[in-house]
Amino acid sequence: MVHVPLTPIGRARASFCDDNTFESNLSSLAAREEQLRMRRAEVHAGWGEKYAGRVHAKGKMTARERLESIKDPGSRSFEVGTFVNYGLKFGDKGLQSPGAGVVTAFAQVHGRWCMVIANDNTVASGSWWPMTPEKIQRAQQMALRMRLPTIYLVDCSGLFLPEQSRSFPGAKGAGHIFKMNSLLSAAGVPQLAGVFGDCIAGGGYMPIISDRVYMTEQAYMVIAGAALIKGAKSQKMTSLGIGGPEVHVHQSRCADVRVPDDATLLSCLRDEVARLPSSGADYYRGDAGPVDPGFPAAELSGLMPSDHREAYDVTEVLARLCDQSLFWEVMAGSGEEMICGVGRVNGLYTGFIANRQGLVGNPDDPGAKRPASILYKAGIAKISAFSRACNADGIPIVWLQDIAGFDIGAEAERQGLLSYGSNLIYTNSTNETPMFTVLLRKASGAGYYAMAGMPYDPVVQLSTTLSRQSVMEGRTLAIATYNTKLDDDFEIVTQDPEERAAIEKGMASVEKRIEADMDPFVAARQMDTDEIVEFGELRSYISMLVEASYQSTGYRRIKNPRIWSLHDLAVLTEGLR
Amino acid sequence: MRIAKACDAMGITPVFAASEADLGAAYLKDREVVCVGPARSTQSYLDLAKMVQAARQSRCTAVHPGWGFLAENPQFAALCEQHGLSFIGPPAHVMHLMGKKTPAKKAMGAAGLTLIPGSDGILEGADDARRVADETGYPVLLKAESGGGGRGMRIARSADEVASAYADAQAEARAAFGDPRVYMEKLIEGGRHVEIQVMADRYGNVVHLGERDCTVQRNHQKLIEESPSPVLDDAVRQASLDAAAKATAAIGYVGAGTMEFLLDQDGVLRFMEMNTRLQVEHCVSEVRAGKDLVEQQILVAAGHQLAWRQADIELAGHAIECRINAEDPSDGFRPSPGKIEKWVSPTGEGVRVDTHVQSGYVVPPHYDSLLCKVITHGDTRDQACDRMIAALGDLVCEGVMTTAAMHRQILASADFRSNNYDTRAIPGWSQE
Repeated sequence: MVHVPLTPIGRARASFCDDNTFESNLSSLAAREEQLRMRRAEVHAGWGEKYAGRVHAKGKMTARERLESIKDPGSRSFEVGTFVNYGLKFGDKGLQSPGAGVVTAFAQVHGRWCMVIANDNTVASGSWWPMTPEKIQRAQQMALRMRLPTIYLVDCSGLFLPEQSRSFPGAKGAGHIFKMNSLLSAAGVPQLAGVFGDCIAGGGYMPIISDRVYMTEQAYMVIAGAALIKGAKSQKMTSLGIGGPEVHVHQSRCADVRVPDDATLLSCLRDEVARLPSSGADYYRGDAGPVDPGFPAAELSGLMPSDHREAYDVTEVLARLCDQSLFWEVMAGSGEEMICGVGRVNGLYTGFIANRQGLVGNPDDPGAKRPASILYKAGIAKISAFSRACNADGIPIVWLQDIAGFDIGAEAERQGLLSYGSNLIYTNSTNETPMFTVLLRKASGAGYYAMAGMPYDPVVQLSTTLSRQSVMEGRTLAIATYNTKLDDDFEIVTQDPEERAAIEKGMASVEKRIEADMDPFVAARQMDTDEIVEFGELRSYISMLVEASYQSTGYRRIKNPRIWSLHDLAVLTEGLR
Repeated sequence: MRIAKACDAMGITPVFAASEADLGAAYLKDREVVCVGPARSTQSYLDLAKMVQAARQSRCTAVHPGWGFLAENPQFAALCEQHGLSFIGPPAHVMHLMGKKTPAKKAMGAAGLTLIPGSDGILEGADDARRVADETGYPVLLKAESGGGGRGMRIARSADEVASAYADAQAEARAAFGDPRVYMEKLIEGGRHVEIQVMADRYGNVVHLGERDCTVQRNHQKLIEESPSPVLDDAVRQASLDAAAKATAAIGYVGAGTMEFLLDQDGVLRFMEMNTRLQVEHCVSEVRAGKDLVEQQILVAAGHQLAWRQADIELAGHAIECRINAEDPSDGFRPSPGKIEKWVSPTGEGVRVDTHVQSGYVVPPHYDSLLCKVITHGDTRDQACDRMIAALGDLVCEGVMTTAAMHRQILASADFRSNNYDTRAIPGWSQE
């Protein structure tokens, strides 16, 4: 029989996590998440009141006010790339570029998830910094993968020229944004543009490929502004004169519609989105409406130990992410270290792949235990098969990583873990179903790759304030670096106090440096992860992503559960149901 | 039994789920029964997976959750649907919405019901709490959004208590649920409990079956329910009934449900919460309307259109229900389980008795000790009361203590007859 046999999972919090543990987890995380909130607020403020004031003085809205007013009232937008360039300084003056001067966010417009890309006009008039093109392209890529309407709110004075060599010429240089515009258009993704102010050079190109281009009376689009045109001063030429709506709406037809102000433009863009097909999500939900998890998602922040060496039960995490805490675990009988299965998220079927923590049984040595956060042969085969089946069935996959790496040693090599791992990598690399990756805590070594980490192109990768991406932990690298000075138990061999102190100091310094680099804000700064989220937000981010992946119909396979290949897998591995 | 009766009338074979404690009961004789586990309800009636398994292995097509245990558990509703069993009740997501505090209030406010005054959703901080409390008027109640069982709840009786009450509620909510969100409502003490019976199908058709007044309570346990409410103003009644039906349609509700209201001292009917199930006291509305709610529930779950339109619902006369429990009212309502040696249900004009009890029945100590519901109907309230007093006098129950005599005392009292009571005290009866 082909029903999807979801069953209740999880337990009431108090039955497995006492008030003291809960409180201690909560408070340890609270400090980190408070820092996250403060840093978000800092990025959101752009260059601050003074610059927002300048925008308002021109009768314009700031980028974030525009985002706020284009989304459905009462809905929440979900930013990605908030911390790109966080803390970095550019140019002779050491200027900072909060959010790399652009806001990229999933926002709902008339019930359709859209990707909104808005130049931050409170940061150097929305100019493009190093990494700004990459951030915009990443957002475009997300939109392309899920065929989401893409809305450009353009207000951009061009490249930040003192750093032009870092944002102009490369494979992901600014010009690649327009290639992405083209690819989106070629894939049939609706693109809409609103032009609100200076749109010089790149800023001028970004809107043009869009299906509909709106301009306010303050907007102009030019290949080069009046400042670069010889004799412009004596002829009293202005940029608005050479590339304003008068020219582009009526003479060049580079834009479609002129409107008096920001508010009108945003409301027109909303009307444009309303003309698009509505979301398929309601159709795919069938009779199952959106329902919260049975156990509150808010509890996650008290269940997750901040120390990555402490174990927790990942089933309890799934119970706080799936609707009504109902889940169908597939292939439960093998590869105990991994858990994979299907649950609903906001009524929509979603595949989950997660690794357990603590100790699990060892099939090669019955009765013995081994660490769970490691990829062993059966676990790799299991998640590979599950990942392929989800792809075949069009079920989006959420990967939950807290993984230390692959099994190592002579036996692991004999078993051919290299090739099982490669098989998994091939599967994930060629999957077309949307995949989303969450780094709950550890994302180490090849485990990070095998479980669809950033280099394997998940549509979106989320970090938490506990995430730590690395080839190896600092301690491990310190051991590897000082390998020749250590014995079998990794203790320092020499008895010479001076030499010992030097080795200890060296090892500590290696460890410290790695620890610092594993800071999720470092990863987010250099776009090694898309966003850092609070544990309490995880379920809403995932809900949004799953809804978005079921929104556009017709571009990807979405099978109904009766014809899922997943059932074959279940029957073959678990016997007849 | 109530549900099985409806099934019998409709030609449907009911399968009973019973715990080991209930297995031998006489009302299960000649019935198809699946044992779902030991007496402890957490291991039997409250075990979702066992209940679904029992239904599936006996090839049931639908599950009626009754009015206790899992009746308002959206996880159970979702689980049934997931396994091909039609859940006789609203869809899980609607049940869930009505179970969430501020979203439910928002939905009902938007649909036109009057709410208990308070914050518009979650409070933003202690200052916000103080501002809202000042606007609302004291005393106020601070409640955890993820709350339950009284945890994360604090009363502030004056302005200088707000900050600490807010902090305490928040801290307790955070410690208990990991969710410090708190909202505020005016604390209305006393008042009367009035509820509206609604019934909806899958196609947006909704009717109401009038209101019930359930003000006679003991520790939030309803003792006597009657319809119509003897104190509700006619204009308020009509407006509220219409609004309740409209609100039911607005949220996509399906099946039988009850909107609970607080009738305050000024005669304003304020929405408190929605019970997303058939309630014990549904019989009161059935008697007045002359309709069978359970039968309609089953048909609606099978995809039928509601057989009634509002114009078909004619509410006649006055109906009263008394819940008779195996308890000793003179001893703090101590449960009185044991064997009933002799049982005779009352009969007579305008008398209906719903019961699973007969002579020889053993009241198990494990569950709510409801023995029977006696419902009387009359042209007037006094006639219904008099019929009830007579009927309860005819009730014979030997072997266990019952609350019947207490009910007679209440119904005969001047306070009850003249409507001089609220939810805080039982009229015409005191423990001393």
